[in-house]
Formats: sequence, structure tokens, C-alpha cells
Amino acid sequence: MFHWLEKNPFFFAVGVFVVIAYAGIIEILPNFAERARPVKGLKPYTVLELAGKEVYKKDNCIACHSQLIRPFKSETDRYGQYSLSGEYAYDRPFLWGSKRTGPDLHRVGNYRTPDWHANHMWDPKSVVPESIMPAYKHQFTNLADLETAYAEAVTVKKVFNTPYGKEIAPGKAAFEKYKKDILLPEALKIAKAMKRDDLVKMVEQGKVPEIVALVAYLERLK
Amino acid sequence: MQSNATLEYDYSIVKLFIWTAVIFGFVGMLIGVLIAAQLAFPDLNYLLGEYGTFSRLRPLHTNVVVYGFTLSGIWASFYYSGQRVLKVSINESGFLKALTKLHFLLYLVIAALMVLSLLMGITANKEYAQMEWPLDVIVVLTWVIFGIIMFGLIGLRREKTLYISMWYYIAFFLGVAMLYLFNNMEVPTKFFSGGLGAWYHSVSMYAGTNDALVQWWWGHNAVAFVFTVPIIAMIYYFLPKESGQAVYSYKLSLLSFWGLMFVYLWAGGHHLVWSTVPDWMQTMGSVFSVVLILPSWGSAINMLLTMKGEWNQLTENPLIKFMVLASTFYMLSTLEGPIQSVKSVNAIAHFTDWIPGHVHDGVLGWVAFMVFAALMHMAPRVFKREIYSKSLLEAQFWIQTIAVVLYFTSMWIAGITQGMMWRAVDEYGNLVYSFIDTVSVLHPYYAIRAFGGLLYLIGVLMFAWNIFKTATAGRRLEQEPRYRSPMA
Amino acid sequence: MNGMIVKALVMAGVLIVATFVVVKQMNIDLSDPVNMITFLGAIAIAVLAFGVSAKYMQQMKTDTATGELAEDNWDGIGEYKNELPAGWSWSYVGTLIWAIWYFLWGYPLNEYSQIGEYNEEVKAYNAKFEKKHKNADQKTLKAMGESIFLVQCAPCHGDTGDGLSGKAHDLTKRMSKAQVLGVIKNGSHYFKYPMGAMPPNLVQGKDAEEVAAYVAGGMKGDAPKAWTTCAGCHGQDGTGNGGQAPNLKAFDDTLIHNVLTMGKKGSIGQMPSFVNRFTPVQEKALAEFIKTLSSGK
Ligand code: HEC
Ligand code: HEC
Ligand code: HEC
Ligand code: HEM
Ligand code: HEM
Ligand SMILES: [Ca+2]
Ligand SMILES: [Ca+2]
Ligand SMILES: [Cu+2]
Repeated sequence: MFHWLEKNPFFFAVGVFVVIAYAGIIEILPNFAERARPVKGLKPYTVLELAGKEVYKKDNCIACHSQLIRPFKSETDRYGQYSLSGEYAYDRPFLWGSKRTGPDLHRVGNYRTPDWHANHMWDPKSVVPESIMPAYKHQFTNLADLETAYAEAVTVKKVFNTPYGKEIAPGKAAFEKYKKDILLPEALKIAKAMKRDDLVKMVEQGKVPEIVALVAYLERLK
Repeated sequence: MQSNATLEYDYSIVKLFIWTAVIFGFVGMLIGVLIAAQLAFPDLNYLLGEYGTFSRLRPLHTNVVVYGFTLSGIWASFYYSGQRVLKVSINESGFLKALTKLHFLLYLVIAALMVLSLLMGITANKEYAQMEWPLDVIVVLTWVIFGIIMFGLIGLRREKTLYISMWYYIAFFLGVAMLYLFNNMEVPTKFFSGGLGAWYHSVSMYAGTNDALVQWWWGHNAVAFVFTVPIIAMIYYFLPKESGQAVYSYKLSLLSFWGLMFVYLWAGGHHLVWSTVPDWMQTMGSVFSVVLILPSWGSAINMLLTMKGEWNQLTENPLIKFMVLASTFYMLSTLEGPIQSVKSVNAIAHFTDWIPGHVHDGVLGWVAFMVFAALMHMAPRVFKREIYSKSLLEAQFWIQTIAVVLYFTSMWIAGITQGMMWRAVDEYGNLVYSFIDTVSVLHPYYAIRAFGGLLYLIGVLMFAWNIFKTATAGRRLEQEPRYRSPMA
Repeated sequence: MNGMIVKALVMAGVLIVATFVVVKQMNIDLSDPVNMITFLGAIAIAVLAFGVSAKYMQQMKTDTATGELAEDNWDGIGEYKNELPAGWSWSYVGTLIWAIWYFLWGYPLNEYSQIGEYNEEVKAYNAKFEKKHKNADQKTLKAMGESIFLVQCAPCHGDTGDGLSGKAHDLTKRMSKAQVLGVIKNGSHYFKYPMGAMPPNLVQGKDAEEVAAYVAGGMKGDAPKAWTTCAGCHGQDGTGNGGQAPNLKAFDDTLIHNVLTMGKKGSIGQMPSFVNRFTPVQEKALAEFIKTLSSGK
């Protein structure tokens, strides 16, 4: 039979396809419905947090940091409660990572503070002298892309029914209103907690530096 | 029908992919050396401002070596050996020939955009699938073109039965096509938000655990269908061809191929052990990973047995050296991987440097060695010149072998040590080591790895020089060599 | 055994011994099941991969190619109709049977759950830990506290507890003058002491300065006049009136417990709470360790 396949490329290709597709169908599809349910009380990311998640993606923190606490005592002692599937229900994409050059961050919001992050991201060695993490000073001057983050919120609300309220709606006007009423005050609170006057001043002028959004995101990881 | 004697194979597209393989190989591994050095000496993060941090450069390294270097090498080999084992020339169809040109052109466009977007930090942030949707569209188009060319050539073939290499090339095409499509299902945000934000930005169709499942279904099989399947296609052609030996056993080829196809997809769960995907999937991932040792070793053993009794070829021909060592490194990584898939071992190995160690056993010892050997075997045939320097090739082999050994021993020790330190408890049952303790202890191993990487890169430079001189200054050949490649 | 295989095994041995030496230097307990299985796995990788490939390399030296050639030939490449290597086939059949058994029988009947395993393990462990160390002596507690401190607290307070030049509380002292002034000015209502909240601006100006200097100085010598305002709640000696209000003279268990469970917002900044992260014994151990930091013991 195999030798016949080797003479008939079409059927050969079909054979290969069936054999490789088979595992995917059995392994992946059945669990799709079940694994997307949020844990009770889980709120979708605010737009500021989404903007921070974009910074996390842009500077590719996933290269060194995981967001997945495995159910071992050694991990729960170090990082806190092990991770649950439902906690990731709004994570598009998932950011588990596959390498811990630095520590896990899934619950870093529990045991670090905005001003600690401010010091650490500006110069990691100032708080952890032997750190090999790069300093991310450019995040203190680059502005976060709030509009794209807002576009993401609108999209996931529309396409995936992510439970946002009326404040998330398509169009420029809705975005400007959200920015003024909700986003900037949220950012100002973070900037103040980071204890850096330059950041506070920028936010007061309506500009949100990347670091403020990033810290909002890191604070949310609990 | 043309007779064999007058069949002129068309190597123009082969030459183009040889050059991109050399260039991307050098660039990708230069970045590899830089990021390796950054972990040992963090001050090197600040050479290029925000574009030069470890985190921005790491995906650039992986993408350039995987999609630049490796894919170029695969395509050069496919366009070369595909014509020959099917006994059909690209010249025979103007349409296919035009498509090969388009294939290369689109490939360059993707490569340029990929480098640019990754440097700018535009990324979907899934490993080995960082490209945003506009790039995905060009990738899919290119893949379709490649498929048309491959099946077009198969349609025109004179050799009725497909050679083993072609089995693997077909699987390469289908596997990547299926997985890439599913893993890159993304929703562009500009279109759904009333025209807000960046046009290239998208969100994944899947969330959380589901996204992880699809991603590692892809990620694992990107390894399978880019680093394994087409590389086996290469060794099945180039080793028998260079040595003049017949393949040891058809049966072994057959069972290894279909076994690999069936088992590989199941094993993806080994990237998600101890995560929040269901226990049974993790377990199946581990179990099938162990089964996977056999079809993997089957191909390697088949190749090693093909060289039975040919010790003198091994000592005299550096190309044979590269390919034999590639088989053994393939055996090493396909035993190491399955053992790292065992739940208890993965509890230590996952997240540590033992994984990049395993990765580079495969990519440096197996993938890149095979690409070097294939390119060097093709060079005298496509440029119609003798290989420029045998001693340079010989030196490259030994330098790079030492480099791989340094890389994998240092990461093996680093990973096992770090994994065990994370779990270590003192007499009171409290964690002994703060996280930074487990980082500081790695410094010497990071330095050794960077040094090993530098050696490997020097080997790549020697190789690039050798290819360049072969193409431009090697002694001209009157006749195409049948088996062993002539070298000065 | 022939030369090639011996050489390969020696190489494997060197790698394994090197790994062993490094791991042992870090005081890793290899009798822990996970560590042991991993180490055995590593040995298996090195021995089998090096050994088996050496066997085939050896055959290049000693064996010769034989067999019946198949009729097909591609670009000069032929193919033998040789049988499968026996060891390979049997291992293949063996692993396949094992996998199918596991899939249909072994796994479903075991109903393994990783979370279940975790929960049982931790529960058993915690019970044992609390029992064993319930009456631990001070020295044990201090050592235990130090080990927790270095893992959990050092990123903010520094390895030595000095607060990293003002980034967090300097634990080698009770409080700085600026911190006390901050509390006097803003009051404090963070913890749930019986006295409740401390109102702001109880004393002002020079009085405040004097009191703050007195508290920060460790309450040595004569108390300033304004101290009487404070003594009402914190006690004449500043130790907190038997737990009615915080002890200002030295760290004590109540304060540490409060900080760990409620966190702290002060003039330096914010400390997150570590609620539910430590067992009662671990909390006591941390307190013991922090007390020694400031007392110089
Ligand atoms: C080269 C690797 C590397 C990269 C890239 C990196 N980090 Fe780190 N990170 C570390 C290391 C090592 C540590 C532990 C030492 C320290 O705290 O600095 C760390 C620690 C941290 C911590 C403290 C966590 C804790 O529990 O103490 C946070 C938060 C953090 N990193 C955030 C980030 C963010 C956000 C990015 C991306 C913008 C990033 N890191 C990029 C290596 C890295
Ligand atoms: C009405 C009772 C009362 C008086 C009077 C009072 N305190 Fe307090 N003080 C408290 C209480 C209760 C707390 C703890 C409050 C909390 O929950 O944070 C406290 C907290 C403090 C703290 C913070 C301790 C820490 O580690 O965070 C300082 C410093 C302090 N008092 C100093 C003073 C000084 C100096 C005076 C006199 C000027 C004074 N207090 C007068 C009740 C009082
Ligand atoms: C994210 C940073 C951070 C971490 C982690 C941290 N602390 Fe603190 N801690 C602080 C800051 C900031 C203060 C000072 C608060 C203030 O302004 O009074 C502080 C204050 C304290 C105080 C003095 C509180 C008082 O009222 O006098 C104690 C005691 C303390 N920390 C103990 C610990 C212990 C024990 C741990 C580890 C289990 C720990 N801290 C972890 C930031 C931190
Ligand atoms: C000079 C040679 C090379 C050096 C020095 C090098 C170095 C590195 C470094 C330092 C990392 C990051 C590891 C970490 O995050 O801890 C890495 C990752 C990676 N490299 Fe290389 N590399 C080299 C060649 C290659 C080649 C030739 C390939 C592929 C053909 C390759 C594929 C990869 C892949 C796939 C990863 C990601 C591994 C993972 O995520 O676990 N590398 N490399
Ligand atoms: C039998 C075959 C193999 C098995 C069972 C296997 C198994 C594994 C396992 C368990 C991991 C680590 C997952 C984790 O804990 O993070 C891994 C990672 C990896 N392996 Fe393999 N492996 C095999 C062969 C190979 C080969 C031949 C190559 C390359 C040539 C390779 C390349 C990789 C890469 C690139 C990764 C890193 C993925 C990431 O980014 O996290 N593997 N493999
Ligand atoms: Ca990875
Ligand atoms: Ca994509
Ligand atoms: Cu895999």
C-alpha cells in the first residue's frame, strides 16, 4: 500500500494530512469551550492596562518572564497562589512565556508597588544590585499608544463579547471622551504612586508615558 | 519527453537561496552571540538604544535563524534536489520558473518587513509566530506559490516513485500550512473600532489557555516541520549522494516517516506540562514524546548505517563529517527532548536554560550542520567550480563542534542547577535561594555559552568565505561530479 | 566493548560528574524524588545518546554495507531492502504498546490531578511544619526568618535590611525623624490597634521636631515636654501601652504581624501586604529576625 502511495502523490499528500490533522482534532477542539470561562469576579483589562500590555509585548518582556505559576510548593511560596485557567480568559494573546531568565510575574501586583517598579525599570541594579535585567529608560519618555489599546477593547467587546460597559464604543469621539473621563485620571493615580514628578507632569498634560501604562498593567497582575 | 542526457537542471533559484542562507546565517548568529553575551555582561544591552535590549533582539535572533537561515537552506536544497530526484527541470515550465522568481522576491519582502517590525517592537508576541497579520498575508501567499511549484514539479516528474526526500518535503509543506493558518487567526483591531489605532495591530482569536494550546500545537510542530522534517529530507538526499552509498533500509525509512507523522502532533503537550491545560493532554504530550524517540532515531540510524564500513570517507571528507555528526546530534536532541517531557523532569527543566541548551543541540548540531553540508555539496554543482578550500572546511568543522559542546554542556549544567535551586528548601522548609541568587550563579555558564557562540560564529564566517571563494575563484569543473564533491 | 563506545561513555561520565559537582556545591538534595528522577534522566540522555551513536560509528570502522538493492534509483541514489534493526523495532513496538495502554487504561484509571496532588502535599507539609516548629527557640526562628527575608523582602529592604538608601523602611532602626514627622502631620490609621486611628497634627512646630528627634533617637535621655501628648497612647516609655498603640521604641511581633497582613502606607511609600503568604510560625520568625536587625544582635 505504501509503495502505491509513493507513486500517487495526491493520495500520499492526503494520507499525510489526515495523519497529522488527526491529533489536533482530538486534542485541541474538545476543550475549547470549557477553557475560556473567566473565574468569578474577573474584570476585563482597562484601556490603560491594555496599553501597558502592549508595552509588555513591544519590549517583549516574555523573553525573560513567565506568567504561569505551576502547582508546586516551591512556586506558590515564591510567587503566591498557582495560576488558574479562568484567570487568563481575557488574555489575547496568552503571555505565559517559556523561559524564566527573570522571575514569574503572574502575581507581581501583590508584592511590588508602583514606585518600586519606577526605580526598577529605570535602573534594575538600584534595587537588585546583581540584576541582569536591562534598564528600560526609554519607556519613561515614549508615549503609550492609547488609541490602539482602545481599539483593542472595542474589538474584543464586539467580536468576543468581552464584558465592557457603554464607555467602550467605536469611533474617535468615544475614545476622546473615555480618555478624558476615565483613562487620564487612572493614569494620574499611577503616576503619583510612582513618585516621579516628570511622569505626573506629563500625564497632567494629557500625555501618558509607556511606563505609566506598563505599571498599571503590572499592578493588575494579582 | 526529454532524455536524461540532455536534461539541464535550472539552478538560478538555488543560487539565490544559497546566498540568503549564508547572509541570514551570519546575521542571525551574530545577534545570537550578542544576546548570549548580554546575559553574561548586561551592559551590552545599551549599544543600540531601545532597539538593542536583549528582549527586542531575542525574537530577531530566532526569526532570522529560523525563517531566514534555515528556510533559505531548505529551499535551496529543495529546488536543487527536488528537480533531480523527480528528474524534471524548472526550465521545462516557463510558468513554474516565473513562480520561483516570485517566491524569492516575496521571501525577501517578508524578511525585510519582519526585521523592521521586530526592531520596532511590532509583534503578536507568540513565539515563532511574532509577525502581525499584514505579514501573515504575504506569508500565506508565498506558501501557496511554493506549493504550486512543488506539486507542479511533481506533476511533471519522470521518476514515477517519489524518493524519501520528497515525502518529507510534502509533509513540510502541508504541516506548516495547516499549523500556520490556525495559529495566526487574528482580528485586526482597526476594522472593528471605527478606524482607531494602528492598522497593523490585531488580537488573537483565542484567549488564555486555548491560545496556549494552539500556539504550542504550532510551536512544537514548527520545530517538527521546519527543524526536523525538511532537514531529514536534506540528509536523505545529500548523505547518500555525497558518499555514493545506497540508503540502508527502505523499511526503516518507511516506518520512521509514517511514525513521525503520526506521533509528532501529539507530543505538543510537552510545552504545557504543569500548566492550566487539562491533565490528560499534558500526559498524552509526555507519553507520545517518549514514543517519538523511535521514529526520530529511525532516520538517524538509517543514515548512520548507510555509512557502514565507510570510515575512510568519514576521515577524509569534511562534508561526511558534518552529516554524520548532524545525525548524532539529532539523536541527542530527540532523546533529550523526550526525557525533558517526563513530568518530573519537566518540573525542573521547564523555564530554565536546559531548554535553550536542548534547542541548540538541535539547531547548531543538526539543523545548521546539515545546511552547511548541503550548501557545500551543491556549491560545486551549481557554480560549476571546485570547493575553494578543504582545510578551511575541516577547520570549520572542528571549531564548530567544540562550540556546540561548549554551548550544550554549559546550558545543561546551568539549567539543571537553576531548576533545582528554585525548588531547594532549607532545614526549615523555606526557600533557600532568592531569585537573584539563582541568576548570579549562572554567570560563568552564560560566559562560556557566549564564548562557544563566538567560536561557532567564526565557523560561519569561514564557511561564508569558503562559499564566496568557491563561487568566484574555485577551479572550474568540466563535468559535474557524480558523488564526492571535489575540493582543493 | 570497543574503543569508540568506551570513549563516548567517558565523555558522558565527565558531563555527569561535572553536573553533579556543580549541583552539590549549591547544596541540592538529590534524594528529593523530582531531583533524583531528573538526574537519572540526565544520565540516561548522556549515556544512551553518546553510547548508541558510538556503536553505529564503530560499525563504520568494522562493518561493511550489504543487502539486496531495490530496483528504484533516484539521481544515482539506491536503496537496500535490509530488514529493520532488531533493537529498534522491539523498542518501537514496546513504547507503542505502553502508550496505547497508558492512553486507554493507565491514565483513565488513575485519574491523576495535578492540583489534587498539590493540595494534599501542601496540607500535609504545613501541618508537619507547624507541629515541628511550634515551640522553636529564638535562634531557630531567627535563622528561619532570615531565610524568608532574603527571598521575599530583600528586593525592597535590601539584603542587610537597610532599606536601599531610603527606598523602603530602614529596618536597622525603628523609625527616622522624617517618618515620625510624617505620621505626626498626617496621622495614621492603617492598622487595627485598639486605640484606633491616630489623629493628625497632635503637636506642631518645634514640639513636633523635638518629639520626632526623640523617637527617632531611640527615646534615650529626657523626653521633651510634648511627649506627654504621645505617651497617652504609646505609653510613657513608648512601647505602646501593652499593645494599645504601636510600639515606637522597638519592632515587636504585633507590629510585624500588622505590617505583613495589612501592608503599610507611609512617608517613604507603600509596602504591599503579604496576607496569606506566611504561616503563623513564619510570621513569628520574620519578627524575630527583624528585631535582631535593629537591636544589633
Ligand atoms: C534579560 C532578561 C530580562 C528582561 C528582558 C526583562 N527582565 Fe525583568 N527581570 C529580570 C531578572 C533577572 C529579574 C530579577 C532581578 C531583578 O529583580 O532585577 C527581573 C525582575 C523583574 C521584576 C521584579 C519581579 C520580582 O518578583 O522581583 C519585574 C516586575 C520585571 N522584571 C519586569 C520586567 C518587564 C516589565 C520587562 C520588559 C519591559 C522585563 N522585566 C524585562 C530579567 C529580565
Ligand atoms: C490617640 C492616641 C494616640 C496619640 C495621642 C498618639 N498616637 Fe501615635 N499612634 C496611635 C495609633 C492607634 C497608631 C497606629 C495607627 C495605625 O493603625 O496606623 C499610631 C501610630 C504612630 C506611629 C507609626 C508607627 C508605625 O510604625 O507605623 C508613630 C511614629 C506615632 N504614632 C508617633 C506618635 C507621636 C510622636 C505622638 C505624639 C505626638 C503620637 N503618636 C500620639 C495612637 C496615638
Ligand atoms: C515592594 C516593596 C516592599 C517589600 C517586598 C517589603 N517591604 Fe517592608 N516596607 C516597604 C516600604 C516602602 C516601607 C515603608 C513604609 C513607610 O513609608 O512607612 C516598609 C516598611 C516595613 C516595616 C516597617 C513598618 C512600620 O510600620 O514601621 C517592616 C517591619 C517591614 N517593612 C517588613 C517587611 C517584611 C518582613 C517584608 C517581607 C516579608 C517586607 N517588609 C517586604 C516596602 C516593602
Ligand atoms: C552562534 C550561534 C548561536 C548563539 C550564540 C545563539 C544564542 C542564543 C541565545 C542566547 C538564545 C536565548 C536563550 C535564552 O533566552 O536564555 C537563543 C535562543 C534561540 N536560538 Fe540561538 N543561538 C545561535 C544559533 C542559533 C541557530 C543557528 C538557530 C536555528 C537554526 C537558533 C535558534 C534559536 C531558537 C529557536 C531559540 C529560542 C529558544 C527558546 O525559546 O527556548 N540559534 N539563541
Ligand atoms: C523527539 C523529539 C523531541 C522532543 C520530544 C522534544 C521535546 C521538547 C521539550 C520537552 C521541550 C521543552 C518544553 C518546555 O518545557 O519549555 C522542547 C523545546 C524545544 N525543542 Fe524539542 N524535542 C524534540 C526534538 C527537538 C529537535 C530535533 C529540535 C530542533 C532541531 C527541537 C527544538 C526545540 C525548540 C526550538 C524548543 C524550544 C521551544 C520554546 O521556545 O520554548 N526539539 N522540546
Ligand atoms: Ca521559548
Ligand atoms: Ca501572526
Ligand atoms: Cu516540542
